[in-house]
Amino acid sequence: MKLVKLAFNNIRRTPVRAVLTAASVLIAAATLSVVLSLDRGYSRAVKRELVDKTGVHLYVTKENCPIEAASVVAQGGLSPLYVEQSLVAAAEATAGIAAVLPFQLFAETTSDGTRTDIFMGVTEAIRKVRPDWVIEKGGWFENGDSVILGAQIAQIELAKVGDRLYSEKLNKEFKVSGILRKSYSQDDGIIFMPLDTAQRLVKREGRLSAIAVKLADVSRIQDVTTLLRGRISQDYSVIGAKELSEGVLGFFAATRMIMFVMVGVAFGVSVFGIVNTMLMVVMERRREIAYLKCVGARREDVLRLITLETLIICLLGGLGGVLAGVFITPMAGSLLRGTLVGYVPAGSIATPSAGVALFSLLVAVGTGVICALYPAWKAASIVPMEVLRNE
Amino acid sequence: MNSLIALEKVSKFYRRGSEEVHALDGVTLEIAEGDLIAICGPSGSGKTTLLNIAGCMDHASNGVVRIRGEQVERGSERRLAEIRQSLIGFVFQQFFLIPTLTVEENVELPLLFSHRKADRARTAELLESVGLSHRRRHLPNQLSGGEMQRVAVARSLVNDPKVILADEPTGNLDSRNSNAVVGLFESLNRKGIAIVLVTHNPDLAARCRKVVHLEDGKVVG
Repeated sequence: MKLVKLAFNNIRRTPVRAVLTAASVLIAAATLSVVLSLDRGYSRAVKRELVDKTGVHLYVTKENCPIEAASVVAQGGLSPLYVEQSLVAAAEATAGIAAVLPFQLFAETTSDGTRTDIFMGVTEAIRKVRPDWVIEKGGWFENGDSVILGAQIAQIELAKVGDRLYSEKLNKEFKVSGILRKSYSQDDGIIFMPLDTAQRLVKREGRLSAIAVKLADVSRIQDVTTLLRGRISQDYSVIGAKELSEGVLGFFAATRMIMFVMVGVAFGVSVFGIVNTMLMVVMERRREIAYLKCVGARREDVLRLITLETLIICLLGGLGGVLAGVFITPMAGSLLRGTLVGYVPAGSIATPSAGVALFSLLVAVGTGVICALYPAWKAASIVPMEVLRNE
Repeated sequence: MNSLIALEKVSKFYRRGSEEVHALDGVTLEIAEGDLIAICGPSGSGKTTLLNIAGCMDHASNGVVRIRGEQVERGSERRLAEIRQSLIGFVFQQFFLIPTLTVEENVELPLLFSHRKADRARTAELLESVGLSHRRRHLPNQLSGGEMQRVAVARSLVNDPKVILADEPTGNLDSRNSNAVVGLFESLNRKGIAIVLVTHNPDLAARCRKVVHLEDGKVVG
């Protein structure tokens, strides 16, 4: 007979109660697992998309506000802030810069509010700045009415090269001159057009959303940033892509806090459930525990037995929670994508990982150990004589 | 015969609410190897308290308790647990069998705490001695009251005790099962194990070689 077997047998005596307690641990562990996966996945996806994949190292934006810049670049909104196109020449003349991409971003929502199209006016410099921006079908803009579609938007529109697209909001017809190769980035959902066309459509001729800069040598980013700042007016700001991604993650902070509060509530409920269950177990088995002490069980034996029973319940609940987390995480990712955050990077934003699963399991088991302390101490403190005499 | 447990002028007081209860008052008693003792008396006379102090489950308020000549000190819970494991077997009116363990697992339960390896042959031998070999794989809820008490007796023997302290062991049994359990105790006693029975039952007391009468915490006969 092993203590573990005795603990398992004791749990089997009140199966419904044990299952309900394990279920509360399961919910807490699953919540933790999902939230950690989302938190990590979203941060990584934002960094991957804005820092690693774009090939852009610096952005020139109006004023020193990375969050505003992030809003402009990432969400496609038409910010009231803008950059004068004359700055492009200053940037191009700065030593250490490989390519400069002036761009104008704007978004149009259909009149019924069901769909928002993101438009980006660009120059041919996009080919140098963004190595993954590759035209798979068709070619470069033929004239001012041409557009190049991201792979996803082309798929949604069932558009082919040469097709004509009509924008109700812009009251303009465009001709598709090219379709991009799928890049699993924000580009897949963007409609690209010549820069001057975009500027004309939003009535901002000679003005830009921002300027994207690619460096010849990334290790010189600090030097180049200083040089570039020296060449432009102090009304403008030079922001690294990393700061930009941090700006986007700033939008996510409130959602993140709500998610972690949910985890806290789930664990709080679980803690009360476990302590309550184990205290009931101890109260119901006082005479039996007294008897175990009669046959030689010491204080530490009783402590170990009750802690083990709690741990088994928490371990089973934690394992269930981690498994549930693996299945729920992709669904939670879709929910987050659809409702909770403004900027959604392409690709997966919630990927379950072994590290998150292990951490969630450890937290569930650790919670079990803490919850076991008081009931186990109560059980270990039972004086056999008093219990057998009074009950 | 060698003394196993000796109580010298043992008193026990405890509080029950605002009332101070004098459960034992200057009791002297010796339990030696091979004894068969009945402790009798009305309810509240201190029988169970006496058994618990003799069984190292409780400390005396006054007086001395010696186990094989060694004086039992207050506060040495570990030592008391060791004494209970190695010297004493307990049987109670309520059988305290673990409902999810089989008969043989219940019998082996005390070994878990004395850190001795379970020996299935020895368990089988014990179950044979209480006439329950055929029930070893059964769960307690498949047994009669008498059978459960016989399992409890087998369990009390698993650590090879020198003395069995039994508190109202036939209190929950009909006369047929009572006789069977008492017969079992007599048989164990013939093998040299000292038996101390707390009982209200005069017929059971009459079968013991020594009877201690308690009244208001004092030995009166």
